[in-house]
Amino acid sequence: MKTKFIALAGGLLAATALASVPAKADVKIGLLGGVSGAISAMAPSMLEASNLAIKQVNEQGGILDGETLEGVIGDSACNPQGGTDAATKAVNIEGVSVLVGPHCSGAVLAASGSVSIPAGITMITPSGTSPEITGLEDNDTVFRTVSSDDYQGRALARTLKDAGYEKVAVAYVNNDYGSGLANAFKAEFETLGGEIAGFAAHEADKASYRSNLAELADGGADTLVLFDYGDGTGLTILRQALENGFFEKFVGADGMKSEALIEELGPENLTNFVTSAPVGEKSDALDAFNKAFQADGGDPDAIFVTTSYDAAFLAALAIEKAGGDKAGIAAALREVSNGEGETILPGEWAKAKKLIAAGTAIDYKGAAGDQNFDAAGDVPGIYALFKVNGDQFETMTEMK
Amino acid sequence: MDFMELLNFYLMPGIVLGCIYALGAIGVTLIFSILRYAHLAHGDLATLGAFLALAIVSGFGVSPLAALPVAMIGTAVIAVFIDKAFYNHLRERPKIVTVMASLGIALMIRAVIQVVWGVDSESYVRGIVRPENYWGLRIRDREIYTIAFMIAVVVALQLFLGRSKWGKAMRAMSDNPDLALLSGIDNRKVIILTWLIAGGLCASAGVFLGLNTELKSMMGWHMLLPMFAATILGGVGRVDGAVLGGLIVGVAEELSVLVLPSEYKTATAFVILLLMLLVRPTGLLRGKVL
Repeated sequence: MKTKFIALAGGLLAATALASVPAKADVKIGLLGGVSGAISAMAPSMLEASNLAIKQVNEQGGILDGETLEGVIGDSACNPQGGTDAATKAVNIEGVSVLVGPHCSGAVLAASGSVSIPAGITMITPSGTSPEITGLEDNDTVFRTVSSDDYQGRALARTLKDAGYEKVAVAYVNNDYGSGLANAFKAEFETLGGEIAGFAAHEADKASYRSNLAELADGGADTLVLFDYGDGTGLTILRQALENGFFEKFVGADGMKSEALIEELGPENLTNFVTSAPVGEKSDALDAFNKAFQADGGDPDAIFVTTSYDAAFLAALAIEKAGGDKAGIAAALREVSNGEGETILPGEWAKAKKLIAAGTAIDYKGAAGDQNFDAAGDVPGIYALFKVNGDQFETMTEMK
Repeated sequence: MDFMELLNFYLMPGIVLGCIYALGAIGVTLIFSILRYAHLAHGDLATLGAFLALAIVSGFGVSPLAALPVAMIGTAVIAVFIDKAFYNHLRERPKIVTVMASLGIALMIRAVIQVVWGVDSESYVRGIVRPENYWGLRIRDREIYTIAFMIAVVVALQLFLGRSKWGKAMRAMSDNPDLALLSGIDNRKVIILTWLIAGGLCASAGVFLGLNTELKSMMGWHMLLPMFAATILGGVGRVDGAVLGGLIVGVAEELSVLVLPSEYKTATAFVILLLMLLVRPTGLLRGKVL
C-alpha cells in the first residue's frame, strides 16, 4: 500500500514537472467579469467581445515575439469582495500583465485599491462607471473605456426634463455605482427646476421592496428613476412596482438595460419604461468592430461590448508598446491612444504591430469612441435613451 | 399614511416574508436541537429546492405548486445523501468541524446550481401578477398559498412531534441522545428523519421565495442570516418559536423602513439577533430541546 502511494506521488510529481515547462511563455491578460451576481446576463457578451480582441491579436501574428496572448477569466461577482479575490488570483497566481475589468464599480474600487495599484498592474475597466473611480490615487494605473456616471446622470436628467418629466422619485442600489449615478442625476435635475419627490438607497438582494416603494410613492411622483441592475434587485423592484401600481413611468440607467427585464416581465408590461445606456458613435471603427463581432457570432448591440473590446485591444497594444514590461504598460497605454499618430482601427493588429516595431506613433480609434484618456484615465461618452420594442431595446433619442 | 396602506405595503409583505423565513428556520432549529450544530448550507439547500422545482415547471409545464412536493422530496433525499456523504464522518469530532464543513457544502451546492442552471435571474411564471383586491386588502394568490402552506406545515409538524412514535423519538434524542439510544431508539433513523423533514421544508422555503420574487443562485444564501435570527429569536429547538421568530424578523424588516433609512433594512435582522443574544439568549419561548 505504501509503495503504491509513493509511486502515485512520484507520478504526480513527474506530471507537474512536465507540465511546468511550456514551449514558450504566454502573455496573459486578466478578464475580470461579473459572471455571477447582479450583471450576470450582461457579462457573457462583454467577455466575448474582449476575447474577440485577443483572438484577432493571435490570428495576426501574436504579441511581442510571436507569443500567444491569453485571456484569463475571473469572476468578480459584481461586488467588492469578489473583485478583490479575482484580481488577487489574476495578479499573484496567473501573473497577468494587464487587468481588463472588473465590470462593476464597487469591484473596481476594491480590486484596484487592494490589489492592482499596490502591485503596479494597469487596470482598464470597460463598465465601472462610478464617479469615485475618477478620483482614485492610482499612480496613473486605473483607466476606463466607458465614461463616468457623473456625465450619464446629468445627461439623463437633462433628457428627462426635456421630455417633460417634472416630478420623479429616485431609488438607487446602495453601492458605488448606484450612489454615484443618483447624486449626479439629483444635482442636475434639481438645477433644471425638476422636483425630486423621494430619494432613497436600498440594500440589494432582499425579497420584498414594497415598503421601500410605498415610502417613495408617498412623495406623489408618478415616475420612478431606478439606478440598479436589471439582473438583480432592479428586476425585483420593477416587478413589485408594476404589480402594485406604485408608479406609472419608469426610468433606468445602463445597469437596467438588460434583456432579463424583457424576458421576465414581458414587453407588454414595459411600455412606460425607458433606460439610458452608452452607445458607440457612428464611425469606421464601430463598423469594423460590428462586422468582426457579428462574424464571430456576437451581438454588437449588447451593452458594453464596444467598451469591453476596446479595453482588451488597448491592453494588447500597450503590452506590445511597452515590450512586455509590466511597469511600463500604463505609460504605453497613454501613448497608443492620445490622438496623435497613425490611426489604428479595431482589428488592425498586424498594422499596429508593424508600426510599433518601426517606432512610429499610433493612435487607436476604438469602437466605443476615440478612447483618448484624460488626466484621470477617463474618456468622454455618448449616451442614448432606449425603450422596449418587441423583444428588444430600441434607441429613442440621443442624450446630450 | 392610512391603515390600509400600512397593511398592504408593510405588514402583508412582512408576513409573507416571515412565513418563508419560518419554513427555513424550522429546519435550522430541528437540526440544531437534534444534531447540535448550526447548518450553514441551509440557505443554499433552499436554492437547490427552488431550482429543482424550476426544472420540473419548465420540463413538464406544470404549475410551481404542483412541482413543490416533488422538489421537497428531491431536496429531502439530497439532504440525507449530503449527511451520509459528509457530515456522518464528522459526527464524533467537535461540532465546529461540522459547522465549517456545512459552509463548504453551501459553496458546493451553489457551484452545482450555477453550473446546471446558470447565474441569470429566472422565474416560474413570466410576466407580472397584479394582486386581487379583497375589501381594500391587496393580496396575490401566491401569498395566500405561502401563508396557508406554512400554517399547515406547523400544525402537521406539531402533531407529528407530539403524538407519533417517531416524533417522540426525535424529541427524546434532542433531549439526550445517549439515553435515547439506551432506551432502544435508533439514532441513525432519527437523523435520517430529521434531514428528510428539514430538507423538505428547506425546499419549500426556496420555492415560495422564488414564487414571490425571482430565482437567483444566491437567493438562499442571502436568506441565511434572517433564518438564523428567526431561530434564535424564537428559541432554539422550538418549532413554534421558529415560526414566531420568522414572522417577527420579516415584519420588522419591512416596518424598519418607516423609521430608518431604507439602506439599513438588511441590518434589522442583525440588530434583532444581537439584542436577543444580549437580553434573552434562550429566545422568546425559552428553547432548548424539542
